[in-house]
Amino acid sequence: MTTPAAHSYDQEEQQRHPRSGGYPNSDESIIRIEHISKIFQDRQRTVTAVDDVTFEVKQGEIFGLLGPNGAGKSTLIRILTTLLRPSSGTAFVGPYEITKDPEKIRGIIGVCPQNSTLDNELTAYDNLEFYGKLEDVDDRILPDRIGELLAKVELTDRAHMKVQTFSGGMKRKLEIVRAFIHRPLILFLDEPTIGLDPESRREVWQQIEQLNAENTTIILTTHYMDEAEKLCGRIAFVNQGRLISLDTMDNLRLLLPAGDLIEIGFDRMDERVLSAIRAYDLVISAEVKEQRLFISAKKGSTVLPAMLAIFERYSVPMTTISIRSPSLEDVFIHLTGKNLSDGVPNGDAEQKGNVRGYGR
Amino acid sequence: MIKGAIAIFKRDFKKFLGNPFVIIFTLLMPIMYLVIFGNAMGGAISHVSIAVVQEEPYVNETPLFSAVVADLKHMAQKDSPPTFDIVVYTDELKAKRALQNGVVSGVLVFPSPLFSDRPMRLYVDSSDSVTPTVIVSGVNAALVQSGTRNQVEINKIYGDIKYIQFFGVGVIVMAIFMTTMMGGGIALIKDREMGIIEGYFVTPVKRSSIIMGMIASGTVRAFLSGFVIFIVDLLITGIILQTTENFFMVLLVLFITSIGITSFMVSMASRFSNQQEYASMSAFFNLILFMTSGAFYPVIGMPDWLRWITIINPEYYAVHALRSIILRGQGLDVIGMDLIALCIFSIAAMMLGIATYRRTLE
Repeated sequence: MTTPAAHSYDQEEQQRHPRSGGYPNSDESIIRIEHISKIFQDRQRTVTAVDDVTFEVKQGEIFGLLGPNGAGKSTLIRILTTLLRPSSGTAFVGPYEITKDPEKIRGIIGVCPQNSTLDNELTAYDNLEFYGKLEDVDDRILPDRIGELLAKVELTDRAHMKVQTFSGGMKRKLEIVRAFIHRPLILFLDEPTIGLDPESRREVWQQIEQLNAENTTIILTTHYMDEAEKLCGRIAFVNQGRLISLDTMDNLRLLLPAGDLIEIGFDRMDERVLSAIRAYDLVISAEVKEQRLFISAKKGSTVLPAMLAIFERYSVPMTTISIRSPSLEDVFIHLTGKNLSDGVPNGDAEQKGNVRGYGR
Repeated sequence: MIKGAIAIFKRDFKKFLGNPFVIIFTLLMPIMYLVIFGNAMGGAISHVSIAVVQEEPYVNETPLFSAVVADLKHMAQKDSPPTFDIVVYTDELKAKRALQNGVVSGVLVFPSPLFSDRPMRLYVDSSDSVTPTVIVSGVNAALVQSGTRNQVEINKIYGDIKYIQFFGVGVIVMAIFMTTMMGGGIALIKDREMGIIEGYFVTPVKRSSIIMGMIASGTVRAFLSGFVIFIVDLLITGIILQTTENFFMVLLVLFITSIGITSFMVSMASRFSNQQEYASMSAFFNLILFMTSGAFYPVIGMPDWLRWITIINPEYYAVHALRSIILRGQGLDVIGMDLIALCIFSIAAMMLGIATYRRTLE
């Protein structure tokens, strides 16, 4: 458990966030990933889908893997679920090593892949039965279990209809419950709510939380920030195959600008406007970037009129105004922005963000 | 309209060019037809074994015997090996048994020197479509050359067997192959293409379970279609099986053949991830295996290199076994070897399938 690699990573984490205490659930790690890389090669080119990723997942937590499309999330999930072999590095799922004991791993995990893997030519019931048998669910309890799962996703009346007649949302929900038909120790959900309507998403979230309450460790990939914010205890940001940040949700919130974000567009800027805004009491920072002024301020909605007044005073015309509360998305943009330019801050705002984020 | 047509054309053509495997097989097919069909069907008949024997009481070799045997031995078509392989027997019963067991294709019985004016008797294996004619004409020619006035009695040991009856047996095997081609491994490839495979690869199911399960389902389907075509064949060609034992023996052969061919196709399918590639590959094997099985034309008419293929061709053994039972009413003693060969083939194919099946997405 305390191989040098894992250990040093933990230390690094501790240094970055000296204030972060113990992790919310348990300290027992259930998945350990050590320097995993995956390189895809064909005649034309070589793609590094996963680049030297190392982290651990604690038992009983909901772990979020966030990143844009093509970041390598699914590849990482596929490696952990024994569908792909890593090009280098290793990982342990439960006590088992992914290349040595893939079969044992398959017995303790449940997976809901990103793309539909339901058999459209079979009924909902038959799909679940097929998986139940492959997962070695006791034949005596299987029919009841299937009934229970179908009821959970309100598909009881469609149990004996072919899946190809289902809507996208119904298929997705069926696929998710299928993943835990055998009550796995660890559940991998690859973009579980993609393409679902808001109500279905909430239902799925409820189910995930309920499963987690039953002590199932859940690894979830998503590119919806709100989903990660709602569900995940710890979050790893992945971009271009690399792990760029891993922390608890609480610590990541510290990376967020403290107040609200006010964004004002303009054609020309006057230095006096800028200094007046910066001098304002509740304003934390104000940065100009590409014909736009980004103001970070406490109590944004009360500050906004004053900002407008400053613009008026110096007769600087505004083109757009917006105000919003910062979200994980801002952390993400901030982190990936830095990553894209290889760690070199590409503006004052970035630098300031870094200082604020990591300096606490 | 034109723009749309061109777009569709371009898309389709790009896909075609992007799949070299299919292009190669598309071109390979007609060439294989030429080489295999041409050689298997039109080949000069050679090495037909004929047993020659003299009637009892045996005193010594008659001049007629020596002359005709020498003539037959040297008979050959231009640029071909000798047409007949002559095997001299001293016991007429033994010679006839050899004919019954398929060791020789004909038995020519010469009169004893003591009764030299008795007619000669020629027994031919009429379950074969071609060799009886070749033997009869060969023997007649030899007799004319020797100047004898003896009559020849021709006995077809299995009665008159029409070509449709000869060919019908092959069609039963073809039915089995067709079913495995359409159904056998294609579901595996479809699963891979549609990504369904990703869903069950993460379960603890073993690859041997996947392969054996596919083979089991394919075998049942192939067996059922083989059975239906067998019944249809009996009705259309008017063959009557001699005993119920024979009927069950046919079912046994059909079953083992179904296992063998299904295992082969499933093990091939487990290597492909594209339905088109699988389809061209299976059409290719269908051609080779069916052409060299002896279903159309006796194996004896094929060049040697094609005959080598028949040794590893499960359909050859299947056709031989079925013909032995259906046309000749022979039993386990004759088809035993065929069954053993089919079993060995099935086991080898299963092992190959299990060993080469990719249990990952790569």
